Amino acid sequence: MTGVLLALPGLMAQLLSGAALLAGVLTLATTRKPTLALSVFLDLLTAAGLLRLVGDPSWQSIATAAVIVALRHLIGFGLRIGARNWTTSTQDAGRSGPRPGMVVDRLLRPAWRR
Amino acid sequence: MEELLEDVVNALVSIVEACGAAVIIIGAVWAFARFVWVGLRRRDTSAFVPVRLTLGRFLALGLEFQLASDVLRTAVAPSFRELGQLAAVAAIRTALNYFLGKEIAEERRQVAEETKGARTGSGSTSAHGSSDPA
Repeated sequence: MTGVLLALPGLMAQLLSGAALLAGVLTLATTRKPTLALSVFLDLLTAAGLLRLVGDPSWQSIATAAVIVALRHLIGFGLRIGARNWTTSTQDAGRSGPRPGMVVDRLLRPAWRR
Repeated sequence: MEELLEDVVNALVSIVEACGAAVIIIGAVWAFARFVWVGLRRRDTSAFVPVRLTLGRFLALGLEFQLASDVLRTAVAPSFRELGQLAAVAAIRTALNYFLGKEIAEERRQVAEETKGARTGSGSTSAHGSSDPA
């Protein structure tokens, strides 16, 4: 009973990590939204991290789960801040000055094609 | 007597942890299947939100089981090393449970706002439509 309890969650945690990567890539490919793909990836990765804590966890698996949880919130916070800044700068650019796309076009396009 | 108590508690811990693991596994497998389905069929950002909400609920329920097993384990934790590990695991699980609860509430609020906005939009559209003489 205890052997199965230790072996099965470990195996499922590895499978779920692979599934998380697959789901994240699929989400990115179909929606082209990195934020959403990252959220999906981290959600399933959290489930895998929780499964690693079942039974008698080592310090390494405890640290891994803690890092995943911390990373998840850090990345989420960073993305929210980034999205807010992007929205604000887009609104500002709409009021005065060129669009961000125009600036990138100007920077990337060679001078002879302007 | 003490050994008997330890055996009973260990058996209970195994059962409760197995229940928690089963809940997490079922939720994760279901969510993965839904993510693939939604990704391939609908390709809509809003379609992912209910799946993430349900996965969050599954994880929170599994965490509750695992926290219950942690509480049971404190009955028979002889060494400081085991107690330290138990405290670390319980802290991670409690923090994650707290944050999951907040995330679920936040996403639920967003879904409710979007639904309300959609209803208001369709309501105003229908109002315009009814006032249209044509």
